[in-house]
Amino acid sequence: MRYPKEVILKDRTEAIIRPLEKDDESMLIYFYKSIPEKDRWYLKYDVTNKAVIHKWIEDIDKGLVFSIVAAAKNRIIAHAGLLTHEFGCTKHVGRLRIMVDSKYQHKRLGTWMLLDLIQLGMDKGLDDIRADFVIGEEDPAIESAHKLDFFKVATLKDYVKSSRGTRYDLQIMVKRLHKTWGDF
Amino acid sequence: MNKPSQKELTLSTSDGQVRIRANCTPEEISAYEYSSQFGTHASYKSLYTKRETLEKKAAQSGSNVTLALTDENLIVGFGVLTYPSTDERWIQLGPEMMMEVKALEVARDQRSKKIAINMLNMVLINPEIEDMIIYMVGYSWTWDLDGTRKSAQEYRKMLIKVFSPYGFMEYQTNEPNICLKPENLFMGRVGKNVSNELQEKFKWIRFGVYT
Repeated sequence: MRYPKEVILKDRTEAIIRPLEKDDESMLIYFYKSIPEKDRWYLKYDVTNKAVIHKWIEDIDKGLVFSIVAAAKNRIIAHAGLLTHEFGCTKHVGRLRIMVDSKYQHKRLGTWMLLDLIQLGMDKGLDDIRADFVIGEEDPAIESAHKLDFFKVATLKDYVKSSRGTRYDLQIMVKRLHKTWGDF
Repeated sequence: MNKPSQKELTLSTSDGQVRIRANCTPEEISAYEYSSQFGTHASYKSLYTKRETLEKKAAQSGSNVTLALTDENLIVGFGVLTYPSTDERWIQLGPEMMMEVKALEVARDQRSKKIAINMLNMVLINPEIEDMIIYMVGYSWTWDLDGTRKSAQEYRKMLIKVFSPYGFMEYQTNEPNICLKPENLFMGRVGKNVSNELQEKFKWIRFGVYT
């Protein structure tokens, strides 16, 4: 795929989408530090831990995780990744994760990032892409996923729990990647 | 664009020679036979099922209808370069500043003979293209996946491979029809003489901002 990709957001902000690079470590740490706790409590990793970010940077070029970032005004404003498996019964499925700076949400940036990773999934020959979202917390991402033909396959009731003990439903969404005419 | 002179090249294929003829006039198109392959198939319909459609395109100001012709004057391929219609966003760049490769199609029984890539060469043969931005849109629902036995993604990659050598690059756009499917493709070719100002304007137009 051709990078960097220029996109213009709904508020006319110009952003660049490009792969995460080794030199991005400090910018990525800064990005996740700027994400308020209310927007990251449901992540699977402690993104305020520098070691977590370092591991993501180390994983670049290892082939199983492909990360992209969106940058504007010399800052990272979004980070997304497509996670794949080399082996096993789910190696045909890629998993998406995405985080967009709250100031840049509802501006179609998430959609552009998802679109990019969907095309990558197609290039990799995946059959499905899965994304999990916390209902009530990640509604903009759910909306973006719907626009890109992700559909709900399951809702795990009261599955995730915040640090305050509040339980939320987890929505599992899947997009089938079209391969033949019959799929259209 | 002024109506340029006609140009022709001959391509040797495994089944004989194919003439690729650029800037065809409506009159000469009407004198050729039209391959019955340009019709409706089980999972695919040709972009233009009637020869008359090509004649109309050739009659449009500035257009370039390029044909692939057998020795028997049978049309087995066509490429069409036209200005965008007035309701399309690309017109916002300015009068006659953008043109679209509207069609590039080869009859099913004549494929894999490098006809398409040679037709594209002839579609882009007029020197005026260096003063403008040429674009193409690939809607996955128009692709002959059945006939080519390709997946949508493979077909998409094939289009990129065909257009890239001629200076086309993939661009992002929020044009609603293109955004309908992730497989869809938008590529543009910025002519050598296009100013930085127009290139900047093109960037904004791709995202529906008309300044």
